[in-house]
Amino acid sequence: MLALEAKEYLVSYRVVVKDSYLYNDYLKISKAMSGCSGVESQTIHLKNNGFDDLKQLVNENLWEFVTYLDRIGLHVKSYGKTTNLTNKNTTILELRTHCFKVDFNDTFATITAINTEGF
Amino acid sequence: MEQFLLVYADIVIHKGYKMRYSFVVALLLALGASSLSAEITTIRCEDSTLMPQNVQCAPNQFLRKDSKILVTVVGQGVAPSNTISPAQAYALAKRAAIADGYRILAEKVRGVEVEGQDIIKNMMVQNSTVKTQVEALIKDANVIETVFKDGLCEVEMEMMLLHSDFSR
Repeated sequence: MLALEAKEYLVSYRVVVKDSYLYNDYLKISKAMSGCSGVESQTIHLKNNGFDDLKQLVNENLWEFVTYLDRIGLHVKSYGKTTNLTNKNTTILELRTHCFKVDFNDTFATITAINTEGF
Repeated sequence: MEQFLLVYADIVIHKGYKMRYSFVVALLLALGASSLSAEITTIRCEDSTLMPQNVQCAPNQFLRKDSKILVTVVGQGVAPSNTISPAQAYALAKRAAIADGYRILAEKVRGVEVEGQDIIKNMMVQNSTVKTQVEALIKDANVIETVFKDGLCEVEMEMMLLHSDFSR
């Protein structure tokens, strides 16, 4: 159960892999300008060293947060082209902009994904 | 030849032509009677009672009601050479391997769109192109094991498919 003053953030994540090499990845985090409505879904607890901002929190726990995003569900697009037996492949993993509620405490923070319609 | 016939048989089953299926099995037996008589051939089929004695049906992989299928894949990623530390190379390779694992999961679960084009001029192949494409939403895939060796990262991933996920 989240606290009433839980902060809301919008997060999007995208990974591009070309021919088995990580080509590009970005994680965008911004504060939600308006309230998010939807159903609470998966939750993660991260260690918190007194931060009250999701960007700082994620910087300290990047791998855990990215693994959590994987669990929520990623859109996969993959394109392959084989020309005269030479293969090229591009795979894109994407978390489309998603709302999260974050409850900051002194020693830990609770992050909960909010599922809106269509996801 | 045997391989070709098995692939063809599979296509026939998917389209549901059982009569044609028996024709293919008969052709298979006629062409490779000597080799088949010693071993049992396993193929995918709908009704095992229609099969000859030396042909048996593979375990059913259809997702029936109240059943589940565990899909396991291995994704591979390569560590780039221009990293500032081995740890960074490992992290990047693992991320690439996970993305590759997601792609294979999508291909297994959703299927692949394949488009091929061959240009032939004066009885010679000038250019051969095969394009593949897949799009899917993958949830609840887990990394089971990670192996990093000689700059190559391999991750074993699995995902449980439940009938209830598709029957809403």
